[in-house]
Amino acid sequence: MDTEVAAFRGVGKSYGRVRAVDGLDLVLRPGETVALLGPNGAGKSTSLDLLLGLREPDQGGVTLFGGTPRAAIEAGRVGAMLQSGGLMSDVKVREIVRLACDVHPRGRSVTEVLADAGITELAERRVDKLSGGQEQRVRFALAIAGDNDLIVLDEPTTGMDVSVRQSFWASMRAQADAGRTVLFATHYLEEADSIADRVLVLHRGRLIADGSSAEIKARAGARRIAFELHDGDLPDTGRFDEGLLRTLPGVRSLDVTARVPGVRTVRIRTSDADASVAGLYRAGLYPRGLEVTGVGLEQAFLTITGELDRNDAALESAR
Amino acid sequence: MTTLITLEILRTLRNRRYLFFTVAYPALMYVFFIHAYGAANQAGGLPVKTYFMVSMATFGAVGAVLTGSAQRISLERKSGWTRQLRLTALPGRAYTMGKIAASAVTTLPAILVVFAAGAAQGVSLTAAQWAGLVVALWLGSFVFAALGVALGYAAAPDAVQPIVMIVYMAMALLGGTWFPVSGSLEKFARLNPVYLYNHLATFTRPGQSLDTVAVAGLGAFLVVFVVAAAALYRRDTRQA
Repeated sequence: MDTEVAAFRGVGKSYGRVRAVDGLDLVLRPGETVALLGPNGAGKSTSLDLLLGLREPDQGGVTLFGGTPRAAIEAGRVGAMLQSGGLMSDVKVREIVRLACDVHPRGRSVTEVLADAGITELAERRVDKLSGGQEQRVRFALAIAGDNDLIVLDEPTTGMDVSVRQSFWASMRAQADAGRTVLFATHYLEEADSIADRVLVLHRGRLIADGSSAEIKARAGARRIAFELHDGDLPDTGRFDEGLLRTLPGVRSLDVTARVPGVRTVRIRTSDADASVAGLYRAGLYPRGLEVTGVGLEQAFLTITGELDRNDAALESAR
Repeated sequence: MTTLITLEILRTLRNRRYLFFTVAYPALMYVFFIHAYGAANQAGGLPVKTYFMVSMATFGAVGAVLTGSAQRISLERKSGWTRQLRLTALPGRAYTMGKIAASAVTTLPAILVVFAAGAAQGVSLTAAQWAGLVVALWLGSFVFAALGVALGYAAAPDAVQPIVMIVYMAMALLGGTWFPVSGSLEKFARLNPVYLYNHLATFTRPGQSLDTVAVAGLGAFLVVFVVAAAALYRRDTRQA
């Protein structure tokens, strides 16, 4: 049994002066469902192109099942759906799916593939007469036309409306449940949150986070606390001490505004909301209108990439 | 691979507009030309009816393979279909072979329809000459299919259309398609594949056999076009 489905080792790729992928090290293991997140231009599509052998890395190497990407494709171990995967015109959905099943070394039955992709009722339609979301499903059918060990999907739900997206996720999960490794790029964080058991965050061609969705949220400081402090409620000294708030347990970031005289609004991001709130009372403060809210993966993602941007900017100006 | 080639042929035959322009249009042009020139006159030392029958058959065949391969390849590179195919176990050559096969299937009716119009107009050849002419013109069309593949990998769709039209028209104009080339023009015409292609028909003239110089010339063009197509294909693959 393979212990490595895919591996990037020190992979770099540039387009002219733009560094699309910068020192990527990554191993995918059998049975994982992995989401690849990142803002536009983070290097997601380039990474997938490198993984599939559509592009050659400038540095480092990519292996699929221990060999070259091309060898894995020829052995019928990989199926992929590209963001820019055009389809043939002047053919019916069934015909293009049959082509994909036929040329696949471990091809499945056309009827099964159509059903799994949820396009049985579209089988007799011309490919050029489909809507964007329907086209995406046909592309998905091409990716699952054989008995693959790895399925790679680049932004699969782009162009789908919400209800279609839900049923598409069910199709994706079915592939994962069948024991296949699934790697998908997305910028819908909800998609990563609800399907993936591992989330990779790519930013400017570098892997900046790798863990479960819960771990990534914790890393970003998973909860937000907001409250007001009124001057009249301050402890004995009668002076507001921002440093005190900063030393509360779990605090990751602090934001204090004073728009109304005598009232300060405090917003705290914390990795341990319970301890922060307990500490607040222990310090003798009396927070009013206390709110504790969880942050979604989206906020976590923005926080992580935002921190990195600030660090980069600081480095730039230090030079 | 056969599934892909069959599907390529099938979808080409389904495209009615393409079929009209490749099959019906040259035959209509043939009828127009022989009347414009006067059916009783001579052209290039031959009766007008015979001369234009060959030149319109080659005109249709070249048009069919150039538009069929160049434009479609260029469009499908842009849409990403060629990338999608690279994610299958199909070898890279299967795609271009499918394109060439599909255009070859349409050149045959293009040639036959013009020949049928010629026969109806009273062109008379022996059965062996008719058969030889069909085979010669059909085989010759593969040279242009290779050129079409090269052009399809050379440029983006919006550029390919004018490029194909210019190449096609220039070769036809100076290759004897609309009027026989003679005098000093003929020296340059020897370097024009369409001129050589038209010359494949000279064996039907009394006392002449197959023009081996034209065959050799077309063979050389085939090699050049295939090498160019392979190089441009590899460039395209590197750019992903």
